[in-house]
Amino acid sequence: MSAERIYRLLLRIYPADFRSEYGREMTLLFRDEYRARDTSAGAFWIGVVWDAVHSAMSMWLDLWLARGKEYTRTLEVIMKLAGTLAILLGVFGAVNAVAEAVAAMRGTLEGAHFLAVALGGTAAVLLIAAGAALLRRTPSARYTATIALVASLVMIVIARLTHPWMSSLSQLIGIGLPVALLVALHWPRGHDRSTSAA
Amino acid sequence: MARKHRRSITPESQLPLAPATFQILLALVGGERHGYAIMKEVAARTDGEVRLGPGTLYGALKRLLESGLVEEGSERADPQLGDDRRRYYRLTKLGLRVARLEARRLDALVRAARQKKLIGTAPA
Repeated sequence: MSAERIYRLLLRIYPADFRSEYGREMTLLFRDEYRARDTSAGAFWIGVVWDAVHSAMSMWLDLWLARGKEYTRTLEVIMKLAGTLAILLGVFGAVNAVAEAVAAMRGTLEGAHFLAVALGGTAAVLLIAAGAALLRRTPSARYTATIALVASLVMIVIARLTHPWMSSLSQLIGIGLPVALLVALHWPRGHDRSTSAA
Repeated sequence: MARKHRRSITPESQLPLAPATFQILLALVGGERHGYAIMKEVAARTDGEVRLGPGTLYGALKRLLESGLVEEGSERADPQLGDDRRRYYRLTKLGLRVARLEARRLDALVRAARQKKLIGTAPA
């Protein structure tokens, strides 16, 4: 097997993108070096293998770091969308709570029902606050969002207990959304600007 | 060829340079070079102390291209090395500024070392 062929095999340890971009040039450089230097000594091949292993590790590390950054960027976009959704649903919930309270006040308002509407309205406002915090994505905003989401969740659970006739959709949004946002907010990730800036 | 993440690059943000990177930039100050010419120049300048292998050289060139310090020139054969077409690389304006800043940084370090009498008072 020729030295150049051995070197081409050695190139397989590099990431495919790097290999396809620079593999030919590297092989040419290897060929030039092989012709110019005393290659009978083992030191030449030790140097070649060391250079390949050392630089391939560095290339793989670069690739993984780039993928990690890409993943974090995608997560940031998702969290911004989630924040916007939380604000929209919070506004919808708050308007709904006000409308329900006004309607209930016209008739005879049961104590438990009034409490449930008040708690639902408060939970909606907390959801808006959490959404706004998610859009800011600073370390303190992350903390604020967590507190607001937990508080919103507690309010909805109490409202559900005091008013068992709460609709399935309200329960899904009121309980499901804060839980999903809390999971997304605290999901382990690589390099996160919001935590590393702390 | 990937040339991304250039928007926020300032010359100062590139410092300090890795020794191999500075050697490559120094080699390109003299004009367009292909990989083997860069490697030979670095080896000659350092009396064979620094020998950039293909992986180290092209790994560094890839990063230099991505950060906009180096750009590709034409692809052509080197008559001294045969008919194979080779990629040539050259410094960009940003690359030249970074190389200058790094040279000044190293110069300041050497002057500080002289003041502390770590090395002779006159340049070697």
